This record gives sequence, C-alpha cells and structure tokens, in this order.
Amino acid sequence: MPDLDSGHIFLTTMAPIKPGAPTDSPHSSYEQRVRIALAKFPTANQSPATVDDPYNSPFARNLRNHLARMFVLNDTIYNGRITQNPLVAQLQGNKQIVPQPVDRLNAPYLVFCADIDAVEQNGDPLPATLSESRQKQVRAAYARQLWQTMEQELRDVYSNCYGFDGVQSADDFARYLDKCHVETTMPFHDYYLDLDNAGFHNLPVKPLLYGVLAPLLFGALVLVLWLFGAGHVPLLGWPTLPTWILSLALGAVLAYAAVKYAIANGEKPLAPAKYDDLPSVLKSLYIQQKFSEFFIDNQELPPDQLHAAFGKFMAEHDPQNRHAMTQKPGVISSADPANVTLKDASTT
Amino acid sequence: MTRKLNLNDIQGNVTRAYGRYSFPFARYIFFHFPNPGAARSFLDAVRQKVTTAARWPDQESRPKCTTNIALTFPGLLALQLPVRTLQSMPDEFIEGMKQRAFILGDRDQTATEDEARKDDWDSHWDPIWQKSREPGTLGFGKDDVHVMVTLNAQSQSADVQDTPHDALDERTKWVLQTAEDCGVTHITGVGAKGDQPYQDASAVFEDVGGTLRPTAKEHFGFTDGIGNPVFEGQLPLEIEDEAVIGRGKLMGNGWEPLATGEFILGHPDESQELPPIARPPEFMRNGTFFAFRKLHENVGSFDAVVQEEAERYATIMDIPVDEAVETIRAKMCGRWSDGVPLSKVPTYAEWIAFGEKMGWRGDDVVPFEGYVKNLKYIASPEARDFRYADDMAGLKCPGGAHMRRMNTRDYLDPLNESGVSDTGVQPKNAKATSALNKRRRILRRGLPYGPPNNTHKDDDTEQGVIMIIMGASLFRQFEFVQQQWIQYGLDFHQGNNTCPLLGSHEQHKRFTIPSDPKSGKPPYVMSKLKTFVECRGGDYFFVPSMTALRMMAMGIVDPT
Repeated sequence: MPDLDSGHIFLTTMAPIKPGAPTDSPHSSYEQRVRIALAKFPTANQSPATVDDPYNSPFARNLRNHLARMFVLNDTIYNGRITQNPLVAQLQGNKQIVPQPVDRLNAPYLVFCADIDAVEQNGDPLPATLSESRQKQVRAAYARQLWQTMEQELRDVYSNCYGFDGVQSADDFARYLDKCHVETTMPFHDYYLDLDNAGFHNLPVKPLLYGVLAPLLFGALVLVLWLFGAGHVPLLGWPTLPTWILSLALGAVLAYAAVKYAIANGEKPLAPAKYDDLPSVLKSLYIQQKFSEFFIDNQELPPDQLHAAFGKFMAEHDPQNRHAMTQKPGVISSADPANVTLKDASTT
Repeated sequence: MTRKLNLNDIQGNVTRAYGRYSFPFARYIFFHFPNPGAARSFLDAVRQKVTTAARWPDQESRPKCTTNIALTFPGLLALQLPVRTLQSMPDEFIEGMKQRAFILGDRDQTATEDEARKDDWDSHWDPIWQKSREPGTLGFGKDDVHVMVTLNAQSQSADVQDTPHDALDERTKWVLQTAEDCGVTHITGVGAKGDQPYQDASAVFEDVGGTLRPTAKEHFGFTDGIGNPVFEGQLPLEIEDEAVIGRGKLMGNGWEPLATGEFILGHPDESQELPPIARPPEFMRNGTFFAFRKLHENVGSFDAVVQEEAERYATIMDIPVDEAVETIRAKMCGRWSDGVPLSKVPTYAEWIAFGEKMGWRGDDVVPFEGYVKNLKYIASPEARDFRYADDMAGLKCPGGAHMRRMNTRDYLDPLNESGVSDTGVQPKNAKATSALNKRRRILRRGLPYGPPNNTHKDDDTEQGVIMIIMGASLFRQFEFVQQQWIQYGLDFHQGNNTCPLLGSHEQHKRFTIPSDPKSGKPPYVMSKLKTFVECRGGDYFFVPSMTALRMMAMGIVDPT
C-alpha cells in the first residue's frame, strides 16, 4: 500500500485529455490548452525572479502540500519485446524475428502527483496506518481543500480533460479525482530524525530462518535414519516414516508462510517521522531562522541575562504553537514579516 | 591495467603545477584572432615552443621559462573549426564564464538577469574581461579573448629570487612579435584601470632574514596549494606512493591516485567511462579544460572583520585577542597560517608547541632555517594525511571551513556515523571512502598576484590569486564545487551559509565554529562576514593536446 507511507499520502492521479480542439477555437488543442493553463500557474515566491511577486503558487494556499506536480504525459511507449532464450523460443514455436506489438497510452494524460499530510483536518496528527476507505476519505478531503482554495486554476486545467464537464462542486471534484486515482508504487520521502526509534518494521530474520530450518533439518535427519532401516526415532520413539514426511511437509508450509510474512511485512507503511506534518515543518523553518538570530545576538550574555532573553524569545516565538508565529507556505524565508503567520492572524 | 600516458602529447601545465619555489613567476597574455589564417599561423608557431608534460631528467634540464596555450570557445569559432566539432563542446564552455555568473555566485544571486544588467554587475571587472564576451554575442564579440599564452618562469638566480629570469621577458617579446607577424591582435586592458598589457602573477614574497623569498602563502596569509589531486600516470611510480597520500582517493585500500579521465579527456574517469568529447576523438584526447579566474582579495575587509569577530570570540572564550585572531583564521580556513591542518593539530596550544617541535617557531630559530623547515613540512605527506570522517561534527575543523568544502575527502560517505559524546568522542568511521568526492576534484594551477608582504595592502590595492581550475568537466567539477560547496552549505549542514573565505557574503554572512563539549565553551557563530574574495574576470578555456594544436594549425580538424 505505497499510497500511504510515513503518515503521508503519495497521490498519483491521471486524467485523460480530450482529443482535438473546441470547434470554435481550433488553433489550440485541448492538450495545448492544458499546457497553457499549467504555464500560467505562478511559481512559489522562492527565487530571485518571483520572491517579490504578488502571486504565489496556488498550492501554497493550503497547509497539506509538501510537494505537488502537474504535467502532461503525452505518451509512454513499450516496444513490447519480451526477451526469451532463442532455443526455448524455437522449441515453443515463437518467431523472435516477428515484431511484437508496441503498447502506447490511449490519449495524453494530465498527471497530478502530490505528497500530502494524510489528514482530514489541518494539523491533525499523522497516522501510521489507514484503511483503504479512510485513505479514500483523506484523498477526498484534500481534493475538496484544493477546490476551495484554487477552483479557478483547477477549472482552467481540468476543463480540457475527459469526464470533467459535470464537475460543479468540491464534492464533484473529489469524486472526479478519485476516478483518476492510480496506485503510487514508489513513494519518496524525507529523512527520519531518529533512526533507532523510527518504528521500522524490521524483519525478524533469525527466528524466521531457524523456525523454517528446524523442521526441515529434523525431517532430513529422520529420513536418513529411515533409509538406514531405523524404525523409530531414538529417544523420542516416534515412527520414522511418518515423522520425516510430516517434518518436511511442516518445513515447506513454514517456508511458504515465512515468505508470505516477509512480503506482508514489507508492504506495511512506515510510521510517520516526528514533526513530519507540514505545519511542523514550517514552524521548524521559522524557529531555525529566529533561533539562529537569537543565538548570534546573545552570544556573550552572562547566564542571568541570557535566561531572561531566552524567556522573551520563547514568549515571542512560541515554539510549541504550530499555527501562529510560523512561516507561510510557498516562501523562501521568514525574514520578511509578510511571510509570517502572526499570533493574532486567526482573529483578524 | 595501468596505461602509460603519452606525456609528450599533453601540455605541461596539466601534470605540473610549476611550483611556487621553482617557478615563482607567471605571465598570462591574451589574444584575439581577426581571421582563421592568422590564428593557424600563430598556433603553428607557438605550439613549437609549448612545454609538454614530458619528464625532465634532472633539475638542470628544467626550462627557465615554460610556455603553454589554451583557447576559449570564441577562439575555436574564430578558427572556423567544423560545426560538428563545435556543437559537441560542453554547454558551459560555449557560454563562457561571464554568462554563468549567476550560478557561480560571481554576481548577486538575489537579482534577476535584468536587475543585474541594469546594475552593471561586472563594472569592477578588469576592462579586458568586461569587454570580452559581451552579452548576446555568443562567440562573435569583437573584443573576445580567443587564446591565452601562459608563461611560467624561474627566479633570476638562487641569490636574486624576487625577480624573474630574463627568459620571461625574452619569451614575452617573442610571443608578442609572433602575434604581430601572424596578424593576431594582442588584447590589453588588464588590471583595475586596464593599464597592464598582460596579467602578471608571482608567489607572495616575504622578507626572510633580510632576503625576499617566495612563500607558499596568498595575500590573506594562509598557506595554499598543499592538497592538489594526484591522478594515474601523472607522476613517476617511484614517487607516486608518497605523493598520493592525502591527495588521491580513499576507496578501502589506502590512498590511491584518481582516475586519469577526471583531469585528462580521452581516458576512463572515476565512473569507469570515457568522458564525452567532441569529434574527432583525437582532437580532444589528452586535452582538458580550465577556468581562468582573477580573484581579488579584499585584505583590508578581511583583517578588519577577523579583528572584530576575534574580540567578541576572545571575550566569550576567555582567551587573549591575538590567540582569538589566529584561531578564527584557522577555523575559517582549516589550516593554521603556517599550513598545519586543524584536523591533526586542533588547538592553539598544540599548534604553538607543534611549531616549536618542528623547528620553525621560537625566539632562537634562525629565520631562514625556520622558513626551510616549514616549506619541507608543507611538502610532506604529514601535512596532507588526514580525514574528516573522524570529525563529522567539525570539533577540530569546522564543517563549513574552506578546506572541508573544497575537498570533502571522506566526509560525504553516506555510511558515515555522526554524533558526539559529552566528552567530545566521535565515531571513527575508519572505513569511510571518498564517495561523492572523487568526481568533484579540481587541479589548481596558477599563482597569486600583487605586491610582496612588506607593502601596505587594503581592499583597493590590487592583489589576489590567479586561479586556474582544471578538470575534464567544468560543469561537473569546478561549477559544482563553486555553486554547491562554496556558495551554498547544505552538504555540510550549513544551510545557506557560504564558504567563509571564498563565498559571497552579500546575503549570507555567517560561519559557525563548533566547540568541543569537553572545553565547556559554547560554539561561536561569526555573523559579520563580508565578501573577501571577488572575481575580477576570466573565462573558460580548452587546453589542447599537442596533436590538437597541430591539427588546428594545419586546418585539418575533420569530424567525419
């Protein structure tokens, strides 16, 4: 279930782009229109060219996105050549010099990927596991949030996609995006602060190995005894024939179960890292900057004055509060007060 | 298997740094090709004087003055090489260094291209480099530098070390006369006022017991140029084993030379592949690239900032100011001013004792003897044989120090463990390798320029370093190091902080000095850095092999 990993949803959706162009405007195909709409998205205020731009990325209007990406996937081409040993192919009558079919996408697709906090309300703790239906709810909550914060941009892009025509509300968009959803098979994620306590699902390799090997070795031993004509296992007194058969069978069953267990263990989502939700990340960026300034300004203070200054710092910047005195999404630093969510922001 | 290099085909400045003691003087002369015929005649004449990498049988057979040559992309264009050859040249070489100023941090990175242009961002460059490669000309600028001839010269004699041998002037005259005879234009305009005919450079001379002698220092007073990389085939095998210590790579078998292809085209590199080259293959084989950078040193700002920070540091650490000055300087660089690495001699007290033990510090030391002992130490493996993986936290040598940025050694091995105990003990990481570093090494050629140490220097006097940064890929090696390791700090857990010595400090002015927990002192953050080193011009050059020079001279570069 790689859609959910480390408390994040790694969303992948693909919406097929309509063929052709609107009859009243044949110069720009629907595919071209998607590209134009995407090109018009403002980038985040994070480079010299955009840092003072009045428009920020529309994805900076919500507090769940760690990363979002929309692009047009024009085609993927698989040339279909399935390799095979020539001798085997000859025996099976497969003619390898005859070209195999080339597989392609049936249309260009708008791909939308995002790495988001797997929560339904901003600031909720990140979950370690989520059932399929809860994941669906989380995705829908995110889709609704997008619709509420960037409806116009979404319309500009998705109106060129197949099946979008009836979408009129946040719930409609959530349903639409769910139809476009495909499973993410390889999520990427950032680092854990503390590897030792990260809660990884380490495979108990030795117990599994010994558990499987014990009945197999015992069975093999008894098999040898049986071949040499021993009727009963020494000390235990069990009859050798059924004992070796049952032992080897048990070993085989356990080996199968161990493999199944290892695969299931690997499929379990990793636990979220501490402070891995977007509000915490933004707050830590803010504190990192403010604390560096505090450190530099107060380097030579004697302990009592340092203590007092630190008390003032804590009161002003409120490190435990992830919702105020924090950096806004989509900006490069907290140096400009306009980039900071202030304490009274919720009331103004 | 080891392949012997054809040293007679490789230019001498690729394998040799023309050391500051044997060749303390250099001269860089620049030309423009008005037409391909003149260019070919000029190359044909100069190539016959070029000093190759062939080994000198003994000290006496060293030339008094060496000659080397390199071309810019506009130079190759002016030679009218085939388009198929030119179009496969690396992007950054085609664009040239000025066009790359944004990524190199040579101009304010918070300005857009438009703002930078309006600001006339390169107005402090030497006129020659302001006029070369005008924006928008892409290889066809009327004042473009096309070719550079490099002369390196020995001193007049063992007794008169601070003037160059007459051979330097003789060779200069010959080169200028040849250019005139061939119809090639000599471009002047070097220096802040543009009043110098060529770029002169020399070791920084210092009064040692009454005589001016070449030092291993640059104008801030740091000992420089100790850890130049060593690559396969560069040195005779009998000296390679020792030379490679601290200058090669660590891959689990002790110090080994880097792959030839990291520095010379046409040979396998550290990815075990041939670096990409333009056709025909023999045109670029045994050649390489370098960035020529005139780096001005703001000696006044540097001394003032160090003094101000040292006074605060001295208060916090409870030490005398002169100890604080020496310590801060060493922590910024990674070596003490006499070249002793912090990684081996981490504290001030140990450093003082080390200099006394080695015989170059103390009241009873005869200045010349101390000078000779120090130079001998700098040239020894002792001065280079250390690692950073045993000091991940930078307690000895700070993580953001200049040296740790320029050559990360084994610090970036992804398997390194970090952490510090309360008593300052760190993991040894004994098996750490040069992973993520061995593809980012650069050969440093070049010399300081400016007056000797007995002269007044400030921000406005002209002094600095002519840096020649050589490698098979300017993009992968020089530009990466400049952009990611000098002008940015994330690989060293330094955030946006830039190199304390070479970095631009217009925006980011901080440098952190970690503290050993057992000292009981806090870390110290310098916060008032100014831009101490600024580029005053330069460009990217191709260093052709002797074969390539001959092909260009004959006009038979045929890529088909």
